[in-house]
Amino acid sequence: MTEKWTKTASDVNDSILANLSNPHPMFYVAWAMSGLCVLLGIGCWVYQTTVGMGTAGMNSPVYWGVYITNFVFWVGIGHAGTLISAILFLFRAKWRNTVARAAEAMTIFAVITAGLFPLIHVGRLWLAPYWMAPLPNTNNLWVNFRSPLIWDIFAISTYLTVSLLFWYMGMVPDLASIRDRVKGFKRLVYGLLSFGWRGTAKQWHHYEAGYGFLAALATPLVLSVHSVVSWDFAMSLQPGWHTTIFPPYFVAGAILSGCSMVFTLLVPIRKMFRFEEFITVEHLDSCLKLTLLTSSIVAYAYGVEFFIAWYSGNEQEWALFKSRAIGPYCMYFWTMVFCNCVFPLLWWSKRIRRNIPISMVIAILVNVGMWFERYNIVLSSLVEDFVPGSWGHYEPSWIEMGITVGSFGWFFFWFFIFCKFFPIVSMSEIKLIMPKPLSRAEQK
Amino acid sequence: MDRTSKELTEKNRAGASTADEPAVPQTVFLDDDQPFEKPASEFVPGPFYKAADERIPEVAESSLDGVTAGSSDLAVDRRDFMRLFSASALFGASACIRRPEETAIPYVNQPIDQIPGVPTYYATTCGDCSAGCGVVIKTREGRPVKVEGSPEHPINQGSTCATGQATLQGLYHPERRKAPQVKIGERFHDAAWDETFDALASRVSAASKVAIFTGGSTGHRLEFYRKFLKHIGSSEDQLYVYEPNGLMSSISKAHEIAFGASGMPRADLRSAELIVGIGSDFLDIGTSSCFHTKGFSASHSFQRGKMGRFVQFESGMSQTGARSDDRYPIAPGDELGVALLLVKSLLANSSSKGSAGERSEMKRVLDSYKGYIVAAESRVGVSSAELDKVAADLITKKSVVMCGGTAIDENATMLQVAAIMANTLIGAYGKTLFFDRGWMTAPTTNRGIKEFIEEAGDIDLVIVIDSNPIFTVPQAFGIDKVFEKIPQVISIQNQNTETDRYATVRLPGHHYLESWGDEQPVAGFWTVRQPAVRALANSRQSEDILLWVAGAMKKPMGFADYRTYLMQRWKNIHKTLGNKVDFDTFWRAVLRRGFVGKLEKRNVRSFANVRGKIAPSDTPFKSGLKLVSPLDVRLQDGRGADKPVLQEAGDSMTTITWDSWVAINPNTAKKLGFRRNDLLKVEGSGGSVEVALYPMPGMHPDAVYIHRGNGHAEGVSRVTDGFGVNPLGIFSKSVDSQTGQPVTSGQTVKLIATGKRYRLAAMQKHNDIANRSDVIKKVTLASAVANAGKRKNLDDVPDLYPKLKESPDYRWGLSVDLTSCTGCSACMVACATENNIPQVGRQQILMGREMHWIRLDRYFAGDVDNPEVTYQPVMCQHCNHAPCEAVCPVYATAHDPEGMNGQTYNRCVGTRYCANACPYKVRRFNWFTHKWNVISKTKETNRNPRALNPDVTVRTRGVMEKCSFCVQRIRDAKHNAIERGEKVRDGEIRTACEQVCPANAITFGNLKDGRSRISRNRSDNRSFLMLNADASHGHYGIKTLPNVNYLAEVTHKESAINKKHHGGSSKPSGDHGAKKSSTDTGHQG
Repeated sequence: MTEKWTKTASDVNDSILANLSNPHPMFYVAWAMSGLCVLLGIGCWVYQTTVGMGTAGMNSPVYWGVYITNFVFWVGIGHAGTLISAILFLFRAKWRNTVARAAEAMTIFAVITAGLFPLIHVGRLWLAPYWMAPLPNTNNLWVNFRSPLIWDIFAISTYLTVSLLFWYMGMVPDLASIRDRVKGFKRLVYGLLSFGWRGTAKQWHHYEAGYGFLAALATPLVLSVHSVVSWDFAMSLQPGWHTTIFPPYFVAGAILSGCSMVFTLLVPIRKMFRFEEFITVEHLDSCLKLTLLTSSIVAYAYGVEFFIAWYSGNEQEWALFKSRAIGPYCMYFWTMVFCNCVFPLLWWSKRIRRNIPISMVIAILVNVGMWFERYNIVLSSLVEDFVPGSWGHYEPSWIEMGITVGSFGWFFFWFFIFCKFFPIVSMSEIKLIMPKPLSRAEQK
Repeated sequence: MDRTSKELTEKNRAGASTADEPAVPQTVFLDDDQPFEKPASEFVPGPFYKAADERIPEVAESSLDGVTAGSSDLAVDRRDFMRLFSASALFGASACIRRPEETAIPYVNQPIDQIPGVPTYYATTCGDCSAGCGVVIKTREGRPVKVEGSPEHPINQGSTCATGQATLQGLYHPERRKAPQVKIGERFHDAAWDETFDALASRVSAASKVAIFTGGSTGHRLEFYRKFLKHIGSSEDQLYVYEPNGLMSSISKAHEIAFGASGMPRADLRSAELIVGIGSDFLDIGTSSCFHTKGFSASHSFQRGKMGRFVQFESGMSQTGARSDDRYPIAPGDELGVALLLVKSLLANSSSKGSAGERSEMKRVLDSYKGYIVAAESRVGVSSAELDKVAADLITKKSVVMCGGTAIDENATMLQVAAIMANTLIGAYGKTLFFDRGWMTAPTTNRGIKEFIEEAGDIDLVIVIDSNPIFTVPQAFGIDKVFEKIPQVISIQNQNTETDRYATVRLPGHHYLESWGDEQPVAGFWTVRQPAVRALANSRQSEDILLWVAGAMKKPMGFADYRTYLMQRWKNIHKTLGNKVDFDTFWRAVLRRGFVGKLEKRNVRSFANVRGKIAPSDTPFKSGLKLVSPLDVRLQDGRGADKPVLQEAGDSMTTITWDSWVAINPNTAKKLGFRRNDLLKVEGSGGSVEVALYPMPGMHPDAVYIHRGNGHAEGVSRVTDGFGVNPLGIFSKSVDSQTGQPVTSGQTVKLIATGKRYRLAAMQKHNDIANRSDVIKKVTLASAVANAGKRKNLDDVPDLYPKLKESPDYRWGLSVDLTSCTGCSACMVACATENNIPQVGRQQILMGREMHWIRLDRYFAGDVDNPEVTYQPVMCQHCNHAPCEAVCPVYATAHDPEGMNGQTYNRCVGTRYCANACPYKVRRFNWFTHKWNVISKTKETNRNPRALNPDVTVRTRGVMEKCSFCVQRIRDAKHNAIERGEKVRDGEIRTACEQVCPANAITFGNLKDGRSRISRNRSDNRSFLMLNADASHGHYGIKTLPNVNYLAEVTHKESAINKKHHGGSSKPSGDHGAKKSSTDTGHQG
């Protein structure tokens, strides 16, 4: 790091915690808008639950549509957070310290959002959560452990649990800092949350050990959870779904979308909360380099998928891939290819990486592209599969789009709550990477 | 009908009922509609009945359970009690809802033959068209729940068509008129039957010329109407019979001209080695679709190693043409030209049959048509060499020529005369056509619509019975004005019709399931019609109405009711048949069996004196686009249009539901600049309609097809409102001069773009096989014959999975023969009726949400102008390696030990993963809860709870469903077998689709029984598993190992789809792409 840090340790606490009590006015506007989206989503969901699944646009043969796309999309986004906070921690990448907390929070809220969708897309949601969990019952019925949806339940609940613990544990010293500054009821709450943290050396020692342990626990989840989600598709025999490349393909895609989402979140936060000096352009640059790396992996995965479909000689597989590229829904395929593989190539240039507005546009396009990748996967294999007499079409209905908008609103709603009540940047970790304070002599 | 339930309860508690207070049954079903059930006291109709028993002895009621027996107009009969019982049971169950308390009163004396839960079957004759198929009505607790073909009946041999399967939606239709309506002044007033008879009597007495207008029938009905007319002082000639199916009258007239005897020949297609059809639609509707399909299937399904050949000349793409082996598209109107050219070739061939006198007469006929023939020769597009070859084949083989379809042109009768000449020359009469022995009775007479229109000016009162001429006669005839001019129009119908609007008295008539009657489809062979249920809608049988009107006129005809009259006529039949038992025993036996008869014989003279009777038509051949409007296979002339199950079964060739469409050749469409779903204005001399376009491969470039059946007037039925067009508005006032039948083919039209588009709700979106090798398979006849003896074991497949638990006795399997299936869609309607499948309406079909558990995929292959057409019925394949079972998170779908894949509705939470995993896409999801007791506000469907099968549950929303191999029937059969102490026999279980199929395409049975038909089918060399490639070559495809196997379609020539695979470059290389061996079963890599 060649830039000069002009902040001191106490500055860190002051400026970061200042936003908790005094956020930028735009914050409230954004929060309110996300709340409105949530209300829209809830309204649509209530309508769908009372009237029936038919209010969505799904049909025969496209029995899954926008909801599963959203589900996979949101789970994928979460993975980048864990990658940044857990895996990069183990690799001792210093730049991660500034963005880790926000990334990890993003993971939590993305997983919560994703977890809604199995309930939203299910036909009888008043029975589904009860029956899909292996709860004791008088019929001696187990759930079907062979079903990838059950694996999903285990994987995602594990992921949520571990991520929550990891995130919470990492926040304990920061919560203690807040506790030391506030009074009254807030002090009580933050006090409870900070578990009586005193900042003693022994506590720090335990903290580091525990944090590392949880990081190690969370690391394999980055690879496994989205692999399990990919098996929702790979374990059926639909052409275009039934392929062994899906786990690495999905994981790479997840990290790509997650890193872009991290970037998309950080840029406005940086601006709104005046964190330019903590989350520096260097850090953002590293984030984008990671994104570029995963974009390359994803581009390679697309190419391999296509090649193997042709090379295999399987007539249904190859027909499906041709249909993806030139068939009735090819616009989604090409959106996906351009947004995920072509536009990120611009990030090879350092100038563009450092250009925040352009990178922001590319990052949003990557997210759009990743959403369409999931949509493309779900849709293309279902509209034209084995038996030509069964081929169909699909358009999302207003209810589905309303719920999608609602899910974005839900995600941002909780994220904004997090921004208001918890330190977005991990104060204790920043202090670890800050250069030592200037000596009095150097200060002059 | 305004008693409260409380009063009812008290009365029942008291255990007595007063003679003047009939108990009123509770209605629990229709909220926003009047209840059907009327008190029994009103049921005993006229002054001529003694007791309710007397009327329907077979359904002998026990009297008045729980109530002291009293006079016959005491109220609550058995059926009402049953209803009470179920109503009360329901109320008891819903304890949390405040309802008045009801008591359930069980039977004290159980009626004979009625065990709740065990069905009672009544044999009767279907009345949905005039073919006279025998059906057996399954009734539960007094209510018909299923229509099944009568297995021994010679006409349909256990099958029914789609229209027959939908009968119950007509019986229970909520829009059936509930009361007679008499027009006084400008308004209609509901009336009671007593006053109605008086009103009718006075009107009939006042009329000097009374006429009866009705549809075709072969039974005693027409004779009775004539008797009535004569009795009240009108002439017997005043009976006008109009059959919108123009084929019958032209065939009958032609035979009258040629042989001097009327009637239609009975075509025995079972042994026909060659069938030539010219514009023929005998597999669509023809004269008797089930009969001809059964016969055709016997000769054309590669049974016993042989397969007949079928050559078809037609202008449109019909189901009949789809089954043909050589097909020649000809222009509409050229049917006669082709037929005469064929006769010319036959005459020229020295081996043709026929006496010298006949041949010379034929030559003279051809001479009189010389100009016509010469013009046709250059025009029809079939070379004389080809016709000569066909002629030669016709003579050497056992063959038959069938001409004409339900859409007729001006030359319809002459076309049939040409068919007669051809058949005489090939010696078909006596071998495959029978006109002197057991000929088919024509349901029409010589006085039809032409005579009616001519003479209507003099008619004072017309009684229209079960006929809808306002809708079924082209508007150009001014039929509405004709009816307007008749002072009194009495309309007796069992469904709402356009003709009712011109009536002065509207009377609710019986549905055929509530009627007495008979038909004589084949001379000497009688099939009887008895009621399977009491009148549900305050209706009366039309013949009874006439009898009682005569009675009210103080001129009683001497019969208490039509049943008595019928029995008297049957005494003659009894005598003719020389039956030894007494009449009563005979009568009951006939009722039980449904039919009786001996083929009648007669002497028929030879073909002579034709030329004088039929002159060459002076209508010049019209070039350019010509409209043809055949009857829709399901909706017939329009009577089926208010039955949602028929609307939703869809036309099988286009898969379009809930709509009309116009079909033209795709190249013609391209030339004119039209695309699919363009809204076109089809304009002819009679008028125009706006209808959306469906480009149909196989059509002649000049042919424009709009099927009749849809396009009912607004307000006739909520089911038909808002869609469909009636093409009869386009036709001019032409008739076939011999029969007077309106012309429904050959009208020159213009197609004009409107610039608008209209989405046709077609269920199938992709129409060709898309180079998939594994979905349908076709083999050549030569290859099939060569391999006929070889057996295959499709189940000998290496498997890494542990074997699932298997029952030692049963493994259920089903086979579908692609060679036989004609695409009639009777299986779809039967399945819907049997399994309580809801209809979802046009909007949902547009979204792709049809609920059919069995669907008909229709694939075109080859040349767009003359394609190969294959129908493939697809239902749940009950895979042994089911992809759906592995992925259901809650085990709602699991494999049972008998090999079936079972869907547990209660457990399903609706993740729909199973449907995604299903490669056949046969699973259906309930997107909404379909209510069963209302016509929905969006007018889509009539879901009537009465027609539900009590053995099958109805599903709520969020639940997946699919074909269950009619597991309720399997369960019942196993239960019966256990009681007998043995295993289920082959053929004891017939799935609904198998039972109804007129083509015998579907076979169900126990695969563990080595001698069952299904075992034989599955091990046949032609059999294949869909998407499972070819196990005998070591390729397993997706290896789902279904229990459903298909038998490859046998074609005379090599199919285009085989040529593509073996020679084409569209497939990536593999190690088995190029080789083609003649012993192959069409194996593709």
